Amino acid sequence: MPKTLYEKIFDSHIIATRNQSHLLYVDRHFLHEVTSPQAFDGLRLNKRQVRRPDLTIATVDHNIPTTDRSLPMVDKVSSIQINTLENNCKYFGIKLFGMNSPDQGIVHVIGPQLGITLPGTTIVCGDSHTSTHGAFGTLAFGIGTSEVEHVLATQTIWMQKSKSFKITISGKQKPAITAKDIILFIIRSIGTSGGAGTVVEYSGDVVINFSMAQRMTMCNMSIEAGARAGIVAPDQKTFDYLRDKKYIPHNYDALIDYWKSYLYSDPNAKFDKKIDIEISNISPQVSWGTNPSMVSDINSKIPFPEQYSESDHNRLEVENALKYMGLKPGTPINEITIDRVFIGSCTNSRLEDLIEVSKIVKGRKVFPTVKAIIVPGSQLVKKQAETLGLHKIFKDANFEWRESGCSMCLGMNNDFLLPGERCASTSNRNFEGRQGVGGRTHLVSPIMAAAAALKGHLVDVRELM
Amino acid sequence: MISRVIAYKSNNIDTDSIIPGKYLKLHEYEELAKHAMEGLDPNFSNKTKDCSFIIAGHNFGCGSSREHAPIALSFSGIKIILALSFARIFYRNAIDGAFIIPVEIDQNTYDGINDGDELNIDIQNNKIKNLTTSKTYSTKPFSYLIKKIIDAGGIFKLDM
Repeated sequence: MPKTLYEKIFDSHIIATRNQSHLLYVDRHFLHEVTSPQAFDGLRLNKRQVRRPDLTIATVDHNIPTTDRSLPMVDKVSSIQINTLENNCKYFGIKLFGMNSPDQGIVHVIGPQLGITLPGTTIVCGDSHTSTHGAFGTLAFGIGTSEVEHVLATQTIWMQKSKSFKITISGKQKPAITAKDIILFIIRSIGTSGGAGTVVEYSGDVVINFSMAQRMTMCNMSIEAGARAGIVAPDQKTFDYLRDKKYIPHNYDALIDYWKSYLYSDPNAKFDKKIDIEISNISPQVSWGTNPSMVSDINSKIPFPEQYSESDHNRLEVENALKYMGLKPGTPINEITIDRVFIGSCTNSRLEDLIEVSKIVKGRKVFPTVKAIIVPGSQLVKKQAETLGLHKIFKDANFEWRESGCSMCLGMNNDFLLPGERCASTSNRNFEGRQGVGGRTHLVSPIMAAAAALKGHLVDVRELM
Repeated sequence: MISRVIAYKSNNIDTDSIIPGKYLKLHEYEELAKHAMEGLDPNFSNKTKDCSFIIAGHNFGCGSSREHAPIALSFSGIKIILALSFARIFYRNAIDGAFIIPVEIDQNTYDGINDGDELNIDIQNNKIKNLTTSKTYSTKPFSYLIKKIIDAGGIFKLDM
């Protein structure tokens, strides 16, 4: 029977089945400091070991400072959480890319760049944006701390099969239209529950032409549409990207042959749901509300709540969102002034993102009232960017150039918005309080964030190109 | 189980509203609970004195994988959440550690239950009786796996 890519990976990892529930083998388990401490406590309490420490990889990213790391940490509570992970990794024999490791970074940036993320494998992590790794033809999804403990102890997880959802993206990708704009456009189109209960396979010419960084950006935000995971069939681009990475297996060429013969949806595979998305005529996208489906074109106006009925975001939700965001219906989006800019996060902090940003920023200055930070996704990204001299371009323009981490995406460390501050952000969530109590987030692409930083207001980046 | 219900009749109540990121450093569950629903409802901790249920719209618990979200609600005294639908990770987090029972309801049930109503929720038989209005509703049955986890009291006691 023809199978989808998702079914092939899922089925090949089933250990046992009971009444349509499956015990699935986990190939790689990523850990970070925030969702792991209670899981390790549980192991110790029950006198259990880590089943496969060699398949478990840890890093610190959520609450580490992005400022000078040679200084002692100011935040003692965060410091304890980081020390706890270090101690746990030492105790259980798990490889840790710690705060001073050259391989430290956001977990969803370092997995691929180290070649730990591989096609056809299953990856779990106590983090919802684990869907990022789907860009490599990997079945990757976020889990909670109890499941983290379960995987640590058994290297398995009980789950039910999801439905399959094919999104075919076609059209001509114009300059300035990034993977971020396209995924925001998709979430705007299908809503925050549009992918609920499904694993999304992204396909079509646009996806085939995407770089690996763009595929990661797109798969990253699958969770924002309610999907369990996002996935892209691996191709030559995938195999080339991973080839020279640090932890790539020795039998890589044999693996590629196997992957090529197997890792795709069969021509007649049945998807539970399918949609086509045409992107030839879309504009840069900007979120104006408090969930990632509340998105419009940059050159449009803040919507009137009366436009909405009982759909995904009903009228009351739009009213509440605009109240929180301090926005009046009918305001042109490109007139909205901003206070802060955040370029970073597991969605958009890879070298390619920073190169594109540098092209916009070069020779210009950040608007005087705006405080703008660039947080590379990993220490390796930072080093590569500095080799290209990008940090000079950023610093000359008055951007702050930081150390790698999750930073202002979720405001756990000292990078957060103050009440009422408005931010153009390349992150993935615009929930109330996400970037700081009372903070107001506008989700945009990296080049749109850069343009906003230079102009002091949301603006169509094409005006600067 | 009989108690009163707190109504948050909107969709997409996210994990940052349930427990903001800055509290994820806290290790003690009681401490987390003090900040539950902080952004959404400053009065939440008062309400949980005599309410053990929440009713909400679609996609409850969307966003982060933080298990801190059901933990914060559970240690605030919430036992059951009724919602039109749940975000998947929150749903599993709620039951994996036996923190909260997430119950899916239909639109008719949603419309028939209001803030402060006293409910008798019968998990085993998928029934809700609204004692305030004397109306009875059916809830959506759990899947085999979910029911097994709930009955076992979490994934560590699961016997498949």
